[in-house]
Amino acid sequence: MLVKDVMRAPVVTVGPDWTLEDAFRLLLERGIRHLPVVAEGRLLGIITDRDIRLATSHLNPQGPCPGCAQVGEVMTEGVVTAHPLDPVEEAARVMRERKIGSLPVLEDGELVGIVTGIDLLDALLRLTGVTEPSGRLEVRLPDRPGELARLTGFLAGRGVNIHSLLSYPEDGDFVRAVVRVNTLETHLLAEGLRQEGFAVLWPPQKPW
Amino acid sequence: MVIYREAYRLYDFGPGHPFSPVRLEMLTSLLQALGVWREPLSPPEATREEVLSVHSERLVGRVEAASRGERVPDLEHYGLATGDTPVFPGMDRAARALVGGTLEGARRLLAGEKRVLQLGGGLHHAQYDRASGFCVYNDLSVAIRHLTRAGLRVAYLDIDVHHGDGVQWIHYEEGGVLTLSLHESGRYLFPGTGHVYEVGKGEGVGRKLNLPLEPFTEDESYLEVFEALVPWALSAFRPDVLVVQAGADAHYLDPLADLLLTTRAYERLFRLLLEYAEAFAGGRVLLTLGGGYSLDGAVRVWALLYHLFHGLPLPEHLPEGWRLAWEARLGRPLTPTLHDPEAPYPEVPRRPEIVKRNRLTLQRLTELVGSRLLD
Ligand SMILES: [Zn+2]
Repeated sequence: MLVKDVMRAPVVTVGPDWTLEDAFRLLLERGIRHLPVVAEGRLLGIITDRDIRLATSHLNPQGPCPGCAQVGEVMTEGVVTAHPLDPVEEAARVMRERKIGSLPVLEDGELVGIVTGIDLLDALLRLTGVTEPSGRLEVRLPDRPGELARLTGFLAGRGVNIHSLLSYPEDGDFVRAVVRVNTLETHLLAEGLRQEGFAVLWPPQKPW
Repeated sequence: MVIYREAYRLYDFGPGHPFSPVRLEMLTSLLQALGVWREPLSPPEATREEVLSVHSERLVGRVEAASRGERVPDLEHYGLATGDTPVFPGMDRAARALVGGTLEGARRLLAGEKRVLQLGGGLHHAQYDRASGFCVYNDLSVAIRHLTRAGLRVAYLDIDVHHGDGVQWIHYEEGGVLTLSLHESGRYLFPGTGHVYEVGKGEGVGRKLNLPLEPFTEDESYLEVFEALVPWALSAFRPDVLVVQAGADAHYLDPLADLLLTTRAYERLFRLLLEYAEAFAGGRVLLTLGGGYSLDGAVRVWALLYHLFHGLPLPEHLPEGWRLAWEARLGRPLTPTLHDPEAPYPEVPRRPEIVKRNRLTLQRLTELVGSRLLD
């Protein structure tokens, strides 16, 4: 999944000479929190609802910024950006490490979209396959070649469609695989997997 | 009034499939052996147009083609020809037979009948343009739509162990339909939906309620949240009629899910349902079957329902001849009594935590929906 698959476009932008009132009204109207600041087709900075509220609040430790009436005076410059062909996990990593809530997406210097934390959550939901009617299996696999193939091969043999498959490393040379499968019969699948020697963590075995 | 047709048993995905017509054969033969079986009403199949009141033309066309044995390349896209919902010859008609029964129940209610028990149907997973989870057409939604088109407010109550997703999504934006589903949490179990925050959209906001329960929830905890939630929701919504999907797969013997209800909880649930219908819906209630994949468990649960529906005294023992014949046919022992034995399974170690979490889920739900239900 790439940034271009989850970014929003076209982007709502403002100019540096916009008043803070107008910019804030635009944020409220559109129900968004981030506004790239653009002049002559060039990305100058970014301004958020938080920037505006802080600048105009008497709770600001420096007091309400006296000269700050325009976007250009409050915006953050030197914006971190993404490219449409970046993988989403890379965008997520940059946002997490820099503690920022959005990434304007640039292609050949032109602003073509924006990715926010919400878009990444949507991406996560799609990655986990929860939007399709499905049941969930959790299996612990030894961290070595061929184990995942054994698991998916078993499911294929039972005619079960896999909506999504996530795996992540666990302590002790194991990999946890979370599989969303298009079937009501996850219990029967789990039973079959156990008979094949798989460590099925969910659904659990009933003691009766 | 009870609705049933032999033709319901043609809805058959083949040997080994959990949604087996043997359940109906076993149930009706039990009621006959007990001497309580009364001749049911046998309505015809629903028409194509009636099915189209809630389903897309593309889905129906594909079901028809697959039923005729035609090769259709994109069936999987419509939830058909999958492991759960394979196609079989005559599937369209068999599914329409079930829809026809539930729809006739709705018609009878409009004609003044108070209580209808449809011994079949309850195909709550079928969606607007997708078959899903053993369900080809959504008989419940066809009946609900028939009732709302006549101007009635419908409260749909789903006690199947799986989330009633199809019914919920079909009526998600309708203010005149309250859907209320109690089910095992979708965190692991099919279909994965039915969270407390699925509360409806547009005019339907606050009219879609979900109570996802912890795996291994037992009688007491289930009844506690049920008795807190259902009368509250019904008194706020003021329905004209109650439509109930009475799936039996929350029974502890069910092989597909993890709730631990015994027949004692089901007896209480069914008594309450009939009481709630009187108290909140002028006595009007349409009940269908649904999931229930332990032959031993589901058949006894539904036999219980049949007795309570008719106000008959509950038998303690099942007829021995009937039981021996079915034990021979199935090749395994069956519970000899209508109710489950006392303490039928070992104690659940996480019980206090489960009870607490279910209460918390109920609290979250009531906070989320709160006054919006009353609007
Ligand atoms: Zn079910």
